[in-house]
Amino acid sequence: MLNYALRRALLTIPILVGLSIIVFAFVRALPGGPEDALLGERGTDEQEAQIREELGLNKPIYVQYGLYMKNVLSGNLGVSSNTRQPITEELKLRFPATFELAIAAMLFAILIGVPLGFIAAKRYQGVLDNASLILSLIGISFPVFFLALLLKYVFAIKLGLLPTIGRLDITRSLEHPTNFYVLDSIIAGDPAALWDTLRHLVLPAVALGTIPLAIIARVTRAAVLDVTSADYVRTAKAKGLDPRVVDRRHILKNAMLPVITIVGLWAGLLLTGAVLTETVFAWPGVGSWMLEAIRFRDYAVLQGGILFFAVLIVFVNLLVDISYAFLDPRIRYQ
Amino acid sequence: MAPLLSVRDLAVQFKTRKSTVRAVNGISFDLEAGETLGIVGESGCGKSVSALAMLGILPKAGRVTRGEVLFEDVDLLKLPDSQLRQIRGNDIAMIFQDPMTSLNPVLTVGRQITEALRKHLGMSKDEAHNEAVTLLDRVGIPAAKDRIGDYPHQFSGGMRQRVMIAMAISCRPKILIADEPTTALDVTIQAQILEVLKQLVAEENMALILITHDLGVVAGTCGRTNVMYAGRFVESAPTRKLFAKPRHPYTLGLLKSVPRLDAARKEKLQPIGGTPLSMTSEMEGCAFAPRCIYATEESRTKTPELRRIESDDHLVACWNPVQEQDMPRIEIVAARDEGVAG
Amino acid sequence: MSIAEAEVQELKLEQPSSLGRDALDRFRHNKAAMVGVVVILLLVLIAIFAPLIAPYGPGEQVGPLDSSNPEGPSSEHWMGLDEQGRDEFSRIVYGARLSLLVGLVSVAFGLSFGLLLGALAGYFGGWIETIIMRSMDIMLAIPALLLAIGLVSLLGRGLTQIMIAVGITTIPIFARLLRGSILAQRESDYVLAARSLGVPGGRLLMVHILPNALAPLIVQATLAMAVAIIDVAGLSFLGLGPAEPGLPEWGKMLADNASRIDRATHLVIFPGAAIVISVLGLNLIGDGLRESIDPKLRS
Repeated sequence: MLNYALRRALLTIPILVGLSIIVFAFVRALPGGPEDALLGERGTDEQEAQIREELGLNKPIYVQYGLYMKNVLSGNLGVSSNTRQPITEELKLRFPATFELAIAAMLFAILIGVPLGFIAAKRYQGVLDNASLILSLIGISFPVFFLALLLKYVFAIKLGLLPTIGRLDITRSLEHPTNFYVLDSIIAGDPAALWDTLRHLVLPAVALGTIPLAIIARVTRAAVLDVTSADYVRTAKAKGLDPRVVDRRHILKNAMLPVITIVGLWAGLLLTGAVLTETVFAWPGVGSWMLEAIRFRDYAVLQGGILFFAVLIVFVNLLVDISYAFLDPRIRYQ
Repeated sequence: MAPLLSVRDLAVQFKTRKSTVRAVNGISFDLEAGETLGIVGESGCGKSVSALAMLGILPKAGRVTRGEVLFEDVDLLKLPDSQLRQIRGNDIAMIFQDPMTSLNPVLTVGRQITEALRKHLGMSKDEAHNEAVTLLDRVGIPAAKDRIGDYPHQFSGGMRQRVMIAMAISCRPKILIADEPTTALDVTIQAQILEVLKQLVAEENMALILITHDLGVVAGTCGRTNVMYAGRFVESAPTRKLFAKPRHPYTLGLLKSVPRLDAARKEKLQPIGGTPLSMTSEMEGCAFAPRCIYATEESRTKTPELRRIESDDHLVACWNPVQEQDMPRIEIVAARDEGVAG
Repeated sequence: MSIAEAEVQELKLEQPSSLGRDALDRFRHNKAAMVGVVVILLLVLIAIFAPLIAPYGPGEQVGPLDSSNPEGPSSEHWMGLDEQGRDEFSRIVYGARLSLLVGLVSVAFGLSFGLLLGALAGYFGGWIETIIMRSMDIMLAIPALLLAIGLVSLLGRGLTQIMIAVGITTIPIFARLLRGSILAQRESDYVLAARSLGVPGGRLLMVHILPNALAPLIVQATLAMAVAIIDVAGLSFLGLGPAEPGLPEWGKMLADNASRIDRATHLVIFPGAAIVISVLGLNLIGDGLRESIDPKLRS
């Protein structure tokens, strides 16, 4: 099994290399040259000369690439042309925010989507089934930002039930050792802060998680339908097992396999959604950071951010691959 | 003494979007403890469906429309599912055709056996584990102790079927229904599996209903054989007699269409003309009439019932039973053991 | 129908059938898919006859400029006025043209190059295939919208560039699909038979393999169109939409008024709803097609 994991990990290397090349080339291809891109218009001649030195822009391209990779692998992603702060530092602040949001969205999608799909399959062609299908189709037809705007409008502005922006009430202060606000408020033993954090998480998580929810519900439903008609379910029934046991041990266990593969696709989906949702809710995560970078032509940040994202996605997919093998014995013993 | 199992006029229908299919049209038979009964017929004649109906595990579109299934004097068809579950896997067990798809791929073989043991016999985890090892051993799986933690895909086809059998007999059922247990297997493995079944029948005094389309299978295993066509039994006899003196033209046709080692090389195979019946239409007359060489006007208009012919244990549903001169007189040559009971 | 057929059907063991009268029949009976067809048909009609349907031009100003409180729906202006004093309804109607154009062009672009790459990979195999497929994998590793963002930064913000950028994001999907189809069919019996008869590769591709790969391609193309419309709207929302001023792009119309959602709710709801309905229509069709081809996924 370790063997399998190693093999899969090795396979990701060419993809990662390819990605780094693309990002590298991207910045170099921008109009105005990398000096302008990475320094912004405010760069002085001095700074431009310095950057040319640093990046070895006078040297042949493969040397440049080598320097670039050396930097990346040692954790130096450069400096934001906007804020003049090291990108890695900013990332440490921003990433937990997005990650927390993503986890909340995923939990939302799984905890509602799986049971929904399961029940829909069990009541095949019943009212709930048809309703869930229509709803999930509508769900994936909604642009994330539209949904986010609507939710914000209805629940925050009109009804005033939930906060409109941010992760925490501005007036509240909280220590942030981990920068995961939920964890931080637990560590600080501050239930009021915890509650506040959760309130702020609700709308963005629902907005972000709706499309994954729709997808999960459909995939679960299809998988359960598929599995329910399988021969081994008939065998389980012939053994006189309790229907709930049949559902749990025989149907669900097998139906979850395709659902997990879908989770791998999520990393990309959530990332894209994050960029759009964070804007609406002024959520200080990587998504809105990228957006600012685009607006202000902060290509250093873009370069670092995109690379970071892509690597993250590759790793998530790797994890999914490995856990799939863990769950499906047929793959494990190949 | 009342028979262990008594099926009376069982009829099953399937409702699909386009039509209603009459899968089983009224079958009746008795089964004594320790008896082996063969049910033979082409695919689509309703034999598997009957078994599923008896156990109450028909697919959603299937319905029992009439009949009784009396097991130890209780009508299974009238029992609520919660009570039926006590009997399924416990008193009456079933094994299916394709062991690859009939076993859960993500559970170990051991787990799938101990499931039933713990549910029906209330065994503890350890007790069940040990019993499972014993069972695997009994059905002839080598190194049972090591293999109990393996998954179905790690076994060969024949081994998987043995696992299925171990699973089915785990709670010492009084009746085992085997639905095409050897069809998906190689010929040599087929023989082994049938041996396993015969052995278990002898050791446990277990009744066996063997459903198959393969005459060779019933020849070596079953004391009695019922021939099914279009949802009905058309002939019922001790297997030896069935092969020696088949009275129904369909049975004759089946026997004649099987290639035989002792036939002359020039002798042609005689398939039964025509195609199996479409089961949607309500039919008057004998269902086999369109393909029958002996058919008369009566066959086409009046539905024949099973009636005694020659002796008490030989029944046939035919207006024009096969005559002496046409009989192929096939003698069942006993295999390694003393042969077939009855 | 015999028991065997009935049992088989109920136990959902049917083999997928190719695009043919059978599949079309199933499609026609799929109510949801038919709704989708109606919606898209309406959309196409609106787009074509926009000048006849819209009372005003998309850039025509009938109200105050730079209004902080644009007029809501009234009997005169069914969807109210936008922040630049233009008739919202007319803009939505003209926006249909844009969205359809965007959807069609990007997918057409992606489809052609995707098919080309997929065909090359499938046909030649070897290192050509490896290079092409690895590149596709890398492209797929980056989420479509982010890839589009990157491309637009490179190419610029015109409408054409955006369509190309979004089109490029769809290339790997089609390439993979076709190459997968080719792989699957290459080993199939009828292809082997044709080759043994001396049928040349190119002809094999066009006449035998492509038609069989057609069905999933059409499904994917429909779904890709839906995604294209959403992605372009997303780009607009992020400020990377078409730079040409006054374009009635639904995403842009939504984005421009996002901050005014409490004062000009209609300017957010109508473009948003337009996007949702069009995309829904496409998804319904794509889904319906997918089901007619593979009944196992029946809904």
